[in-house]
Amino acid sequence: MKKFNVKKFFVYFFLVIGALIMIFPFYWMIINSLKTAQDMTLYPPSWTPSNWFNFENYKVAFEKAPFALYFLNSIIVTISCLIITTFTTIMGAFAFSRLKFKGRDLIFSLLLGLMMVPFEMLVITNYMTVAKIGIIDTLFVLILPFTSSIFYTYILRNFFLSIPDSLYYSARIDGASNWKYLWRIMVPIAKPSLVTITILNAITCWNSFYWTLLVINSDAKRTLPYGLYAFMTEGGSDMKLMMAAATITIVPMIILFLFARKYIVNGVARGGLKG
Amino acid sequence: MAAAVLGSKKKSGSGIFNTKWEPFIYLAPFLIGIIVFTLYPVINIVLISFKEGYRQITGAFTGYGLGNYARILSDPYFINALKNTAMYVIFVVPISTVLSLFFANLLNQKIKGIAIFQTAFFLPMVTSVTAIGLVWKLMFNDRIGVINAVLGLFGVEPIGWLIDPSMNIWALIIYGIWNMMPFTIILLLSGLQNIDPLYYTAARVDGASSSKQFFRITVPLLAPTIGLTCIINMISASKVFGELFPLFNGSPGTAYNLFTVVYYIYYEFSVSRHLGYAAAASIILFLIVFVFTMIQLYVQRKWKYY
Amino acid sequence: MQIKIDHLTKKFPDTVAVDDFTMDFESGKLTALLGPSGCGKSTMLNMLAGILPVTEGHIYFDDDDVTDMPPQKRGVGLVFQNYALYPHMTVLENICFPLEIQKVNKAERIEKAKEMAKLVQIDQYLDRLPKELSGGQQQRVAIARALIKNPRLLLLDEPLSNLDARLRLEMREEIRRIQQETKVTTIFVTHDQEEAMSISDSIVLMKNGVLMQVDKPQELYDDPKHQFVASFLGNPPINMIDGKINEDGDFELLDNSTVIKLNSKVGQVGQEVVLGIRPEAITFDEVKNAKAEIIQRYTMGKEELANIKIGSAEIRVYLSSDYTYKTGDIIEITLRDKGVFLFDKESGKRL
Repeated sequence: MKKFNVKKFFVYFFLVIGALIMIFPFYWMIINSLKTAQDMTLYPPSWTPSNWFNFENYKVAFEKAPFALYFLNSIIVTISCLIITTFTTIMGAFAFSRLKFKGRDLIFSLLLGLMMVPFEMLVITNYMTVAKIGIIDTLFVLILPFTSSIFYTYILRNFFLSIPDSLYYSARIDGASNWKYLWRIMVPIAKPSLVTITILNAITCWNSFYWTLLVINSDAKRTLPYGLYAFMTEGGSDMKLMMAAATITIVPMIILFLFARKYIVNGVARGGLKG
Repeated sequence: MAAAVLGSKKKSGSGIFNTKWEPFIYLAPFLIGIIVFTLYPVINIVLISFKEGYRQITGAFTGYGLGNYARILSDPYFINALKNTAMYVIFVVPISTVLSLFFANLLNQKIKGIAIFQTAFFLPMVTSVTAIGLVWKLMFNDRIGVINAVLGLFGVEPIGWLIDPSMNIWALIIYGIWNMMPFTIILLLSGLQNIDPLYYTAARVDGASSSKQFFRITVPLLAPTIGLTCIINMISASKVFGELFPLFNGSPGTAYNLFTVVYYIYYEFSVSRHLGYAAAASIILFLIVFVFTMIQLYVQRKWKYY
Repeated sequence: MQIKIDHLTKKFPDTVAVDDFTMDFESGKLTALLGPSGCGKSTMLNMLAGILPVTEGHIYFDDDDVTDMPPQKRGVGLVFQNYALYPHMTVLENICFPLEIQKVNKAERIEKAKEMAKLVQIDQYLDRLPKELSGGQQQRVAIARALIKNPRLLLLDEPLSNLDARLRLEMREEIRRIQQETKVTTIFVTHDQEEAMSISDSIVLMKNGVLMQVDKPQELYDDPKHQFVASFLGNPPINMIDGKINEDGDFELLDNSTVIKLNSKVGQVGQEVVLGIRPEAITFDEVKNAKAEIIQRYTMGKEELANIKIGSAEIRVYLSSDYTYKTGDIIEITLRDKGVFLFDKESGKRL
């Protein structure tokens, strides 16, 4: 009995240490966003701000750079991406799982092959393509290249395949069209999978940086991660302002995470994150 | 008439329940995006990488050849980028895997409050590398950074993590390990949860100690998952890039000493405007990822019925 | 509705699942498609439903050639083995679904659905989800959903195989009752001969894609046209003994160990035959057909069985407990006319 307790103690001990290390940067970010200029000069740095309700840095950050606009841009881009990608994913996954056509398996294997091409390899041509279309430096350019995802289509197709054929036959015999069957039966059943895909996609979209860095120039079109980076390179070295800005960027995703942890963890465990 | 089309026999390719063209209506939105933004770029980048004297604006080039490859492979910055990337992969992947294995095992215990611990361990996964990278920049600060302050408690002299070129890569590696752990823990944890508890029951009946159970049951049964996780992580670590921006104000290290392969692609494309070099470097990145992917597929297949 | 199947064939890349099948299904009757697994009975059902395309031949519903008609136009109701209920819809929504597709207005379809639910006695569970129902209840919902659009033909695929033994008996009666109340032409697939025997008006017995025999259940049992039919029906199974016809027209075992006198001498001298004897077809009355030795007696509840040996052949028969024979006794047996069949060894056809 005693041995059991010792073991339990060590489990908790290491878990606490590990958890503290993992969340420490978040803690550090928040307390530094609340520090005054004087707090920042202390060495060793203080573990708490002198005033927990000093929101001055947030105010200044919002004044110096249009974070509200960045926030709005991020929301617009992420939501548009989610709506379009979810739609193309559902349609594609349905065709690959339920409909019959010539070359289906061949096309699908080709797509799986394409899945291993890193996005970093595609940016050069994609840049040239969007430049040709003439949408550089618009929000549209942040959405367009990400409207189709092989990875999510693959995940959803596998889920669709697990729905028994008999449901499909039943619905079709009852006179439902493919379209009706897809939206009335298959999509509602696949809701957990769709939620997972959507959340993973939201995280990727929200945090997208490389592509934004290439195709966005003007201040008014920046999204949060890029706005934050620009704020750093242009705004200089005031770290307490940076921390306030970083907090603004991260908080929506943390809230999403706290509410949807189960879906995120399931999604990652099932297929691994993209990229 | 529709009936005749829908139900007619021996229409190979189409079934009873859809016409020949119907699938393509469903596929079109998806396939158009893939063709324009994935398939065409793959083909195009391969072509560009072999074009000599390629000009982006006019699309003119002098001929096909291996010039771009020869040039980047003799470019000390690219060689350095390969070295740095390799170093990053070699340190980040094994260390984060070992740590993750340790913590995944702890997180797999059925004890009170485990959900809270899981939340804490998984949280870094959802955050942008830019935003949280800024925090690390502050923590790595040589004068006011918390990391040097803590090391100082043990008598370590302040380290110039972000200003001393020789220390730059270690800062990147430490940040990288922290960044990679949540994802790795989730994969390993789900692997652990797939192990039949009967094995442990049997081992306990046989009187095996906890550590014996871990090394004789958990590790061997988890080997496929560990292998797979390592390779997925190698692929993603080979593409290290975004982490550099917040740490070094957008530069690759203090003195252009910390190029990585992807940063090199970005730099040649976006700053130097040498499209051919960027394309050739992209292909080399793809080859690296391709090798890892092939290993992954092989491992996956081989261990499927473990 | 009468169904006419005309030289129907279904070929898959590696097999012929249904082979040149011709027959009529009677209107308003409950017909069982019976056979061992892989005999093509499910393929047959799927072709009737229109889920599987036909390779050759034709299917007629009354006078309509439905061979190439898509399933939704055929007016069939199909109940799957796994019930195929939509898991996210309530019982009521599931039953309503076919009418929803037909754009029947809401009040009307709910009224109709309630009527159906009452018919299948599921009306107290209308707001439940399928997963909250037992297997038997799910089955009832599936039947209601299939019936709500007034199908010309109701098809049931192994309707009882997912149920436990007690529910199986109950649902068997239910299917019979519902079919008789609605008078809808019904075809169900089963591999269980007892199930088929107990509720159907007629049985279609199939083997390897070929129609073996169509008949009323009792006729099929009493008058099998083929060795396979005789051996597939009956529990305990019929005894089959290989032998040949001797000069007297009687049955002689292949190793000549004994002769069984036949009541009707239908074979030709020297012909290789199989003698089928149902366990209940042996008595111990006046006319003696052969000698046998009692090997073992079993008591099975109200009945008693015995293994007896005729020559070198061991068979299982019912033995009334009135008899006091013991193991090792030599007795004389009598073959009844009913339940004794002679089949041609090579073709399996009844002589």
